[in-house]
Amino acid sequence: MMPDIHQEGEAQTSQWQPEQKAPVILLENVSKTYGKIHALSGITLALSGGVTGILGLNGAGKSTLFKILMGKLKPSSGQVRLFGTNPWKNPAPYSRVGFVPEGEKMHDWMTAHDFISTFARLNGLTRDQAKQEADRVLDFVGLLDVAHKQIGRFSKGMRQRTKIAHALVNDPDLIILDEPLQGCDPLARTTIMNVIRELGRMGRTVIVSSHILTEIERITEQIVILHHGRLLALGNLHAIREKMDSIPHRIDIGCDSPKDLAKSVIDIESVHGISFQNPEKLTVQTRNLGHFHSKLPETIVDGGHRVVSIDNPDDDLASILGYLTGGGGI
Amino acid sequence: MTTNEATINDADGDDVSFSENAPVTGQGRMDAAWGSRDGDESATAQITNNTASVGYVFEQVYKPWNGTLNPRWMRNWAILRHHVLGIFRKGHRPWGWPTKLFIVIVFIASLGDVGLTLLSALIGSPELHSMWGVNRDNLYGHVLGFFPRNMLYYPILAALLVGGVISEDRYHGTSAMYFSRPISRFDYVMMKYISLAMIQAFVVLLTLMIYYFVEIIAMGRGWAWIIDTFPLFLAAFMGGILLIITYTSIGLGLSSVSRGKFFPGIGLVAIVLGTKTLAVLVSNLFERDIMYLLSPYDCLAHVGQALIGTQTTYDQYSWTWSFASLVLMNAFFLYILSSRVASMEVTRE
Amino acid sequence: MADKTNTIFRALDRKASAITEFTMRQYRTKISTWVVLITGLVTISLLMLFYVDAMQRDFEAIDNDNDSIDSDGDSYPDGQERALGTSPFNEFDHPGLFNPPIPPDDPEKWINEDDFDWDESPSGTRSVSVGYDDDGDCRSEDRPESQKDSNDNGISCDIELSISLSGELIYDMDDFVDEDPDDEAYAKEALHRASILGIGKLGFVFIISIFIPLFMATGLIRDEMSSGTMHYMLTKPIARTEVFFYRIIGYLGIVWPYLIILTIISAIITGFAGPGDSLFRFSEFGIWLAILFAAMLATLVYGMLFCFLGVMWRYGIILAIPFAAWELGMALLSMGIPESPILRFSVIGWSLIIVDSASMIVWPDMALLISSGFSVEMNDSSGFEREELIGSEPLQYFYATPGLGDLSPFISMIIATVVLLIQATALLFIGGAIFKGKEIE
Repeated sequence: MMPDIHQEGEAQTSQWQPEQKAPVILLENVSKTYGKIHALSGITLALSGGVTGILGLNGAGKSTLFKILMGKLKPSSGQVRLFGTNPWKNPAPYSRVGFVPEGEKMHDWMTAHDFISTFARLNGLTRDQAKQEADRVLDFVGLLDVAHKQIGRFSKGMRQRTKIAHALVNDPDLIILDEPLQGCDPLARTTIMNVIRELGRMGRTVIVSSHILTEIERITEQIVILHHGRLLALGNLHAIREKMDSIPHRIDIGCDSPKDLAKSVIDIESVHGISFQNPEKLTVQTRNLGHFHSKLPETIVDGGHRVVSIDNPDDDLASILGYLTGGGGI
Repeated sequence: MTTNEATINDADGDDVSFSENAPVTGQGRMDAAWGSRDGDESATAQITNNTASVGYVFEQVYKPWNGTLNPRWMRNWAILRHHVLGIFRKGHRPWGWPTKLFIVIVFIASLGDVGLTLLSALIGSPELHSMWGVNRDNLYGHVLGFFPRNMLYYPILAALLVGGVISEDRYHGTSAMYFSRPISRFDYVMMKYISLAMIQAFVVLLTLMIYYFVEIIAMGRGWAWIIDTFPLFLAAFMGGILLIITYTSIGLGLSSVSRGKFFPGIGLVAIVLGTKTLAVLVSNLFERDIMYLLSPYDCLAHVGQALIGTQTTYDQYSWTWSFASLVLMNAFFLYILSSRVASMEVTRE
Repeated sequence: MADKTNTIFRALDRKASAITEFTMRQYRTKISTWVVLITGLVTISLLMLFYVDAMQRDFEAIDNDNDSIDSDGDSYPDGQERALGTSPFNEFDHPGLFNPPIPPDDPEKWINEDDFDWDESPSGTRSVSVGYDDDGDCRSEDRPESQKDSNDNGISCDIELSISLSGELIYDMDDFVDEDPDDEAYAKEALHRASILGIGKLGFVFIISIFIPLFMATGLIRDEMSSGTMHYMLTKPIARTEVFFYRIIGYLGIVWPYLIILTIISAIITGFAGPGDSLFRFSEFGIWLAILFAAMLATLVYGMLFCFLGVMWRYGIILAIPFAAWELGMALLSMGIPESPILRFSVIGWSLIIVDSASMIVWPDMALLISSGFSVEMNDSSGFEREELIGSEPLQYFYATPGLGDLSPFISMIIATVVLLIQATALLFIGGAIFKGKEIE
């Protein structure tokens, strides 16, 4: 057809193959500025395999990051590689990628099956192949019974699931979901989260961005935290919490007589502080969570205390996010 | 959590217990806020008469507002001000910069004949003045002349203004900001209409007034001349008003059925120029002038010619037909506008 | 995913058909599409109505040379007297005094009695002699040779046609030759041709071919970008230029069949209602085909252009308005001064060349028809003095020779087609390149 003078690589003349050793996603010192606003600053990131959550407050740069990954925005500096190829120049890697964009607008006049099979053909599938694949993915997300209803009549959760199905139709190795839970009711959220977890288990690389931290925690421990366009943290969420030495962990132990328990607990070396915020709870602060937890059971048993609950209230994403972004813990 | 009866306060000011397990009620909070009971007999607030025992639900304390709503004209003035001031000030309705730029361009261009009149007075050239000075034909031409004013300037100006006036509200759902306040839909439309008319009047009618005024000053016209020509000036003014009303009605009607920012403007230009081209085509080919009745510009021009008394270029039929056609066109588009706005949902459509 | 037997070409085919079909179906769901298409249909129908009305109109037979009047009151029309050699101004000199006496003619016989017999066109410096005195008032034996050859070209009772230095057809007529043509036949033929040209050029190639892309093509890419649905099309292994191109093809898939239908309807109507002896005029199919072709190319180029404007700038459609005004000016200029070189800088100038070339091919006698209409004076039924027959002015206004100089009409058509295709291709590349560089939020 038309020779594409801007394309690198050989997408037009032969089959594109992903680079063998390249990570699925690679960002090297990527920045994106809009005039004075730094949407992203110096992001360096490599991801391959598993489910990764991208977290951040509003305006942190999550959507910008995704759009740069998908070649919809051009980084002001730095390099982006998708399967080893620059997505801004070469659309070939998209054959291995499924993208679920944010934004509510879809083609409301199409049925779900129609929508998926039409755009599936853009991957090179024939009409029949597209229809089969559409059935398959709709079944996977649980929309097979409403496949022939118009998208305009779908609820928010169904629309999100349709978008996910659309992203899955070419059996991609990388799936990117931008705020998939936005505006969904709890039931829809659960369903979508199950789908994502399933995808992760199937060995794909899945990247999810969301505000709903508790839900992200349920599917993955691998997180990336962005704040004001900077990469604040990357890795396992517990490991991150561990690394945050300056802020002691808080453990709430519910028991009958907190004062007595306190006398026993205070002997553990890793205890940093104790407070009684509640007549039925002992609050302990420690800088070494692992050590404390390893010593706590024998302390309780030896002292004969009756313990009702043990809680790590700030070992969760909300707290981490709060601490890292300067909002304080919970 | 255990329940503790909190004693209900009465005007005698009994103690209220503040046990730590007491559920937080509006009653309790209010008492806490009002502080000590003693000497506070005058501290009253309206409390809903509630005989139910104090429970976990927060009790609502309503204070009725006994103020007065400011008069309707003030509210409408706020809307009008918001639209008109947005042309040249921040903090009001944001018109796009192409629109603002075009207003300036058209204003200056419309002052072309003013400049030439001044020039003719300065250099003392009667030929130049007879071509550009104030006379019956030039007053007509200032408002209703075809090229380039009525073909390029005024319809496009109206189109740019009209573009998103109502359609943007539909698209973004900002109509809720109007309709959740004591503003009737009629006022909403009326103020938008008047604001658009005012902006166009600034370009069309103000330049006409400047033109007339400059002629008087520059050529040193006396009262006799003014008395002679004032009816012509008034007639041209009326023609201008008709032009503004017609374009605004058509444009707003289109804006109320569309959701896009540009479709109403393009539609207005298409109607004005397209019907004119069609009418010229039919008139040239078949010597039938009846298609001019469908063209807003030609109807306006015909009525204007009759009002001002210049030579008519539409001689196959009387100007009353054109006027009737104008009335029908305006009525049609105003009907569309009113029915669309009346049925507009107060949400993003 | 693609298996080994698929070539890239086939995969591209599937992607093309997916986007094209999707675009066409998307148009069907939009109200604006229907509004625009129906308005176009109504416009053409109105024009056709006027045309049919004009064809059914009765044009009065007018005595252009006033020779049906009996000036001297001897009951013999002047024309008859002149033809037979008696004096039209002397009541005592009339053919009733001949042996045997000739009865006076019905004055009707002297209306439209000397029709045009212009059958040959001059070319280059060569002039031709046309015309025949049907009613005999020039050839009358009583007239001296010098009077019979008032144009001094050595041939009596003829009309000399030649081409002036500026390229115009000029005629030099002997007196009383072809001076009273059939007004109705001329008017109908002239109006028929003028209508086809006028409706084809201004109606089809200008009004319809500009306004349809204006409403339908500007949002092809821009609307998808603004609403965020462009991601569904672009996060696929497909180049952006391809997306741009296939969207245009989808747009053409709606607009071209629409144009074809409109043209067929118009061709049928003008074929049946056109003047002439036969039931259906087949000869004009050529012109309608050319009008259709020109309109198709014009909608292609305008579509590319407006889509490109929409891609380039969010308010790109604002730029389309002055462009449309420019094209209107160019359309009018092309009918007035077709050789003007400014026309090369417009789209419609080239499209109209296609129509003009076709009209030269289908109606080779057009120049003759126009000039003959201007060669006769008349007082029409309302008493107005006109210097031309009814129909000759519109015909002259709407007819133009393709302004590419002395090239044959076929070559002109081919050149114009090639230029339009080059414009379309250039816009495709530029539009695709700009789209490629666009960031999509």
